[in-house]
Amino acid sequence: MSQVAALLIALPLISAFFVPVLKQISKNLIKPYLVLITLVQTGIAAWVFNEVYSTGKPILVYAGGWKPPVGINLYIGHFAALFVLIIAIVSFLMAIFSFKAVNIEPIDKYAMLFLLLMLGATGMIATGDIFNLFVFMEITAITAYALTAYNKTGEAAEASMKYIVLGGIGSSFFLIGVALLYGATGTLNMAQLAEFAKSINPVVAQVGLALIVFGLAVEAELFPLNAWAPDAYQAAPHPVTVMFSAFVVKAGIYALARLLYLLQKASGWSSVLRLLLIMATLTVIFAELSALRQKDVKRMIAYSSIGQIGLVALAFSLGTQAGVDAGVFHMVNHAIVKALLFLGVGYVGITLGGTKLENFEGLGRRMPLTALAITIGAIATVGVPLFNVFWSKLRIILATLNAGFLWPAILVLFASVVEAVYYFRLVHRIWFMGTGERAKEGVIAGILIVLAIIVVAIGIDPTPLWNIVTKAGNDLFNVATYIKNVPLMGVGP
Amino acid sequence: MISAYYFGAIALVLIGLYAVLVKKNLLKILIGLSIMETGVNLLLISIGYVSGRSAPILSEGITASKAVDPIPQALVLTAIVIGVATTAMALSVAIILYEKYGTLNIEEIRRLRG
Repeated sequence: MSQVAALLIALPLISAFFVPVLKQISKNLIKPYLVLITLVQTGIAAWVFNEVYSTGKPILVYAGGWKPPVGINLYIGHFAALFVLIIAIVSFLMAIFSFKAVNIEPIDKYAMLFLLLMLGATGMIATGDIFNLFVFMEITAITAYALTAYNKTGEAAEASMKYIVLGGIGSSFFLIGVALLYGATGTLNMAQLAEFAKSINPVVAQVGLALIVFGLAVEAELFPLNAWAPDAYQAAPHPVTVMFSAFVVKAGIYALARLLYLLQKASGWSSVLRLLLIMATLTVIFAELSALRQKDVKRMIAYSSIGQIGLVALAFSLGTQAGVDAGVFHMVNHAIVKALLFLGVGYVGITLGGTKLENFEGLGRRMPLTALAITIGAIATVGVPLFNVFWSKLRIILATLNAGFLWPAILVLFASVVEAVYYFRLVHRIWFMGTGERAKEGVIAGILIVLAIIVVAIGIDPTPLWNIVTKAGNDLFNVATYIKNVPLMGVGP
Repeated sequence: MISAYYFGAIALVLIGLYAVLVKKNLLKILIGLSIMETGVNLLLISIGYVSGRSAPILSEGITASKAVDPIPQALVLTAIVIGVATTAMALSVAIILYEKYGTLNIEEIRRLRG
């Protein structure tokens, strides 16, 4: 029965192949088809989520019936179940948004790439094999390159080219890292790799891990390798931007954390963690300072999104249970808030033509519901109490201080102050400057309000989500349980 | 003594990286990326090599104990295809870039700033 969870991968793949067939029948069917498929995917993900959280046991899917480490296995534990659900829900919302946001041709290619992006991110989260992780990462990356360039303007091509070159270097580094780990241990299965971690030659372990961190840092937008991100966010179609910030980056940072914590027994592990700590702190500082002087709101929020991902990476680089829990909590909150913000900004961009800062003047009068939702998103991102991000930021700062890192905590707090400056500048422009005619708001405003209500609801009572998130964090941190849950052929009892 | 295979593979990766970092022409950068991918594939293959054994195809006279490690070959087969897909994607973007900007010099392709 649990093998049904393989549909999480199979359904988007099969339905992506049916898009060209559907196009022959009628072009108007493609967008409703996208909504239908993402809705079914959400249903499967919700079933998997319910199954994992009610039994407390992970779902393991074996490819072709071969037990690991011979075959590839999918490991859908507490973390993967939670994020697969988030990916499916965000994709569903974006499929609805695509009706309004994507009107240029060829729509069939857009639908295929959309489904494959969802597939790639789901696979990255669910897989239990490092080479399979690489393959899913490349599926995500190649579809992301294509979707970035989808608008066919010069800017879009330029952004996509930056992403391709950096992503190409990153994936090569990642593959060298995988080759080194395979050469040292002779296995590609994550559980078996974790068992062998202690006996890896320290130099190989350190170099291999550092290369993997660098390779994944491109996807995860960490400091020296994130120059593509603001360009890609600005130039990509609006729904794609939401998908980038809500789950493509999350999949990258998850893979980073998963591989790091799997190899925590390897010698030299703490120096790799320290490397990640420095990269994460620099990411937060640089992103927030760059956001301060942006004239384009979409680009500004892109930088803010990078800054928030830096915070997650900081939490993951502490090496403590509290840090990992806080990081996962922030990932969930950030996915909701940034989906809200990019959706709102994209909607304004479509309705009023462009996302320049001037277009947002008088938005409070022109599109009150959208303006309200963007304001709630902006305030929540800064971390004001009674909004969800406040709790996760608080936990990250506390975990950083408890782990004994005073300076990263101070720098990150400073970055939050910078963040408050540019977000409140935006909110001021929306409500207290300019005037304009009332514009019509449709279904999208409804989605925005629902997201805003979720943000506030989690802010008022974070305990239910926190209980889910601690289980997911435990899944990531507690490698002994992970190894125990994967029955390895020929090893152990 | 470091094996010539490892040395050559790493050297190819470094040559590719050098081209990506230093060259100004977009097509040369993409050539650099391709060279880098080739180097990585060579490294993967040479990790699975066992001195004096033959190809891992079981036929008359060749048993499992006489074959090299087959796993890296499966990995490389996948990685080659991924590399080709990336290159094709990059080249089509390069064509659009040339149409829109009229140049392939990366110092002149700079509309997105900030």
